[in-house]
Amino acid sequence: MRIVAEELNYVYSEKSKKLAVHALNGVNLTIEAGDFFGIIGKTGSGKSTFVQHLNGLIPTDSKHGKLTVGEFVLSNKKCDYKALRAKVGMVFQYPEYQLFAETVFEDVEFGLKSFYPNLTKEEKEVMVKTAIETVGLNYEEIKDKSPFDLSGGQKRRVAIAGVIVSKPEILVLDEPVAGLDPQGKKEFISLLHTLHKTTVKTIIIVSHDMNLVAENCNKIAVFCDGKVAKVGTPKEVFTDYENIKKTGLDLPLIAFLTQKLQEKGIEISTNLTLENFIKEVFKKHEEVKAKQREGGNR
Amino acid sequence: MKDVSFGQYYPTQSFVHKMDARVKILLIIAYIVGVFLVASYHFLGFGACLLFVIIATIFSNVPFSKVLKSIKGILFIIIFSAIIQIFFNKSGKVIWWIITDEGLLNAGFIVARITLIVLGATLLTLTTSPVEIADGIESLMSPLKYIKFPVHEFALIMSIALRFIPTLLDEIDRIIKAQKARGADFESGNLFKRAKALVPVLIPLLISSFRRADELADAMDSRCYAGSKNRTRYKKMHLTYRDLLGFILTAGLITGVVFLNGFYVLLVI
Repeated sequence: MRIVAEELNYVYSEKSKKLAVHALNGVNLTIEAGDFFGIIGKTGSGKSTFVQHLNGLIPTDSKHGKLTVGEFVLSNKKCDYKALRAKVGMVFQYPEYQLFAETVFEDVEFGLKSFYPNLTKEEKEVMVKTAIETVGLNYEEIKDKSPFDLSGGQKRRVAIAGVIVSKPEILVLDEPVAGLDPQGKKEFISLLHTLHKTTVKTIIIVSHDMNLVAENCNKIAVFCDGKVAKVGTPKEVFTDYENIKKTGLDLPLIAFLTQKLQEKGIEISTNLTLENFIKEVFKKHEEVKAKQREGGNR
Repeated sequence: MKDVSFGQYYPTQSFVHKMDARVKILLIIAYIVGVFLVASYHFLGFGACLLFVIIATIFSNVPFSKVLKSIKGILFIIIFSAIIQIFFNKSGKVIWWIITDEGLLNAGFIVARITLIVLGATLLTLTTSPVEIADGIESLMSPLKYIKFPVHEFALIMSIALRFIPTLLDEIDRIIKAQKARGADFESGNLFKRAKALVPVLIPLLISSFRRADELADAMDSRCYAGSKNRTRYKKMHLTYRDLLGFILTAGLITGVVFLNGFYVLLVI
């Protein structure tokens, strides 16, 4: 499903003149099916408001621009939000705090109950099992446990299983690795890539963590003051140093190093992953050495 | 969710804002007693109470619309009690169908009473910050210390509860959104179904409240908080001429109400 936003506007407390806050000021953005999309921006840039539009948690109407997600026209009043929410899964910051049921199974099953009330018990069981196994947990071992007895990382996985159980085509994650230790973070990112390869077509990450988006997303949108300041590949976005500075963001580590090297007159072309960067630096090093040798020989 | 803010502190400079919180609490209690003193059907007494609220509002620099908004929150209760009075009061003369003159009078009486009490109470919360109210109550209750009642702790519990209302509202908003994204439906179905739909909101809320309480307790412990012993205050409360004026006005109100109770009887005779 393709997401297209045209001149999307949103104002908090629109009716009150004093308290009105323009969160979105004409957002134009297209997210293709299959993207691993990153949305970055300072606090208050409108990125959270924007993603909450995607599954109708913040309803919009035709007066505030146009928003379509696949065949759903959200700016149309008759939009079926329930069907939409089954297709657009949303994982909020610290999703483990939304667990409530007595067992892991019941918690994961929650979404199915309301999205697809006509499923048989067996069908539901299969779907829950698939979801729990997709997030890398042992179904038999965990299904009857209380979600509150699990570790933090496991809780987060269960919460995500509860979202992907309804087989969404788009998965939106708000600060997905906040509060995880480095190892947990690594595992979680690889889980996202597995999801992207297997079940969920489009993944959208909202984050403050520049390294996370630079290394994992194929496309990035930079939000600033309720507008999209820049869209492009990580390389396009993070080599536009001036623009990044203007939006009040930091460069990811690799982009920062590349910039520093550039200032010293060393041009390195990288796609902003650590591996690639190291490879390129070594290549440059070899080149320079070779040149010196040549110079020495002459 | 943010609409629940009626009666929230309205920060400004005014005569009433500068009054001592303890005095304001006492005066509001006296005012409520005054409202209750108005004898049946002596509506002039309510006129006096209304005048009191209007004067207090003028002196508080709070826009009238803010004060009146508080009624919106209890509109349901007002209408409900009026309907019960109108339709279920069997005494008095029947005017039309089952509606009696006494029922109508009673309804008007109750509506006036509830409205005036809420207006007064709102004026207190609009002009006094939660911290001041808690401090005021603590100071007013301090005589209870002699019977070993934990006054300071009680006031602390109250101010913590008040402090966390907006935090909890934010939290509720967040959890509702998260569960909505998972297909939860809070808007359709009968009352029973809707109540059941709240379980996925209430349980996470309860759990996070406990977590927050634990964290808060740890934070207070690590700052060596030890209750009321030898604790000094940043803001000391003292009485000023404003409080004296407040006392005089309220005393005037109560005398007025008592007087009008009798006066109305004279008029009827």
